[in-house]
Amino acid sequence: MIGSKVSKRYAKALFSLGQEDGNFEQYGRELFEFVEFFQDNEDFRKVASNPIFALEDRKKILAIVLDKSDFSGLMKNFLHLLLDKNRIEAVETIADHYTGLTDAVSGVARAEIITAMPLKKEILDGIEESLEGLTSKKIKTETREDKELIGGIVVRIGDLVLDGSVRAQLEGLKESF
Amino acid sequence: MGPMKMKASRWTITILLFVSLFFLFNGMAFASGDDHANSHEAIEEETHGEGHGGDSTADLMELLSRFVNFTVLVIVLVVVVKKFRVKNMLTSRIDEIKKRLDDLKREKEETESKYQEAERKLSKFEGEKQDIIEQFRKEGEVEREKIIAEAQQRSEQILKQAELTIQQEMESAKKKLREGVVELAAQRAGEIMAKEMTDKDQDRLVNEFIKKVGDLH
Repeated sequence: MIGSKVSKRYAKALFSLGQEDGNFEQYGRELFEFVEFFQDNEDFRKVASNPIFALEDRKKILAIVLDKSDFSGLMKNFLHLLLDKNRIEAVETIADHYTGLTDAVSGVARAEIITAMPLKKEILDGIEESLEGLTSKKIKTETREDKELIGGIVVRIGDLVLDGSVRAQLEGLKESF
Repeated sequence: MGPMKMKASRWTITILLFVSLFFLFNGMAFASGDDHANSHEAIEEETHGEGHGGDSTADLMELLSRFVNFTVLVIVLVVVVKKFRVKNMLTSRIDEIKKRLDDLKREKEETESKYQEAERKLSKFEGEKQDIIEQFRKEGEVEREKIIAEAQQRSEQILKQAELTIQQEMESAKKKLREGVVELAAQRAGEIMAKEMTDKDQDRLVNEFIKKVGDLH
């Protein structure tokens, strides 16, 4: 497992290059496309990240994959570098850090919204609007369901957690006794 | 007068006394012998019927001889007494006896004084003994009071501690019971709410959340 510091360093390096040529958003998109491919193709993932296989073989396979993509040259070189340095497995973590960097520059905050029941579109819009007012940033939401909440909603933005669930209210009720 | 000289004088006195006694008894024997001869002569005179003129002379001679003996004895005694200062010796002996008596008297007084001192000390010791006993008794009393006070204090502390522990245990038990009841109630409430929760309720909760977030701006 590659350390978070190393992943952050790679993400910063790529982001710096993207800022220099003004294509950091494109690199972000390409990076997430590769991550999606990496997650969806288990065989490719195992071969690329396993040092048992010869580096040259792995590079050939990566080159074949990247040739079929329309990734920029810089992104292709970046992914080859990760393979050379045996860091290809950390591409997901690097992508997370990269997202954080692009969000910070773009004034975007990512909010994880957890509910016990599916949210209606208009309510989700209302939540985003309210959170944008709170953070003064553009909010990008990711939603998921958790029946344990019973009802209500939990929002997590970075380290900030806003818990409006029934479960939290019951816990508060217990604490009050 | 040294002891040797004194001893020599005593010997001299003894010898002179023997000499005096010798003269005394010699005179008496001489007189007695004259008397015996005179008695024979008297018998012979009575037998031969002669007169009483011869007897008076014999008695006179005997008396004279006794007187001479006695005089010699007196002279010897006077000389001896004067020569050897018998008076001084007696005085000295008296002084010695007096001194001895004084010494004995002083020793007696000293002994009495010591006896009185011992009596006084004994009396004092008796007093001190009583004081010591009294002091020990008082100290014992104080110690006893102290021990009792400490024991009482300790027992009070133990009692307080026990009461505190009981109280804490009761509070803990109450708390546990309350927590159990609340936990059970919350669990039951959660189950009921999960069953009874509707979309409308969910929307209401979310809208409340949005409103609260809006209030934080």
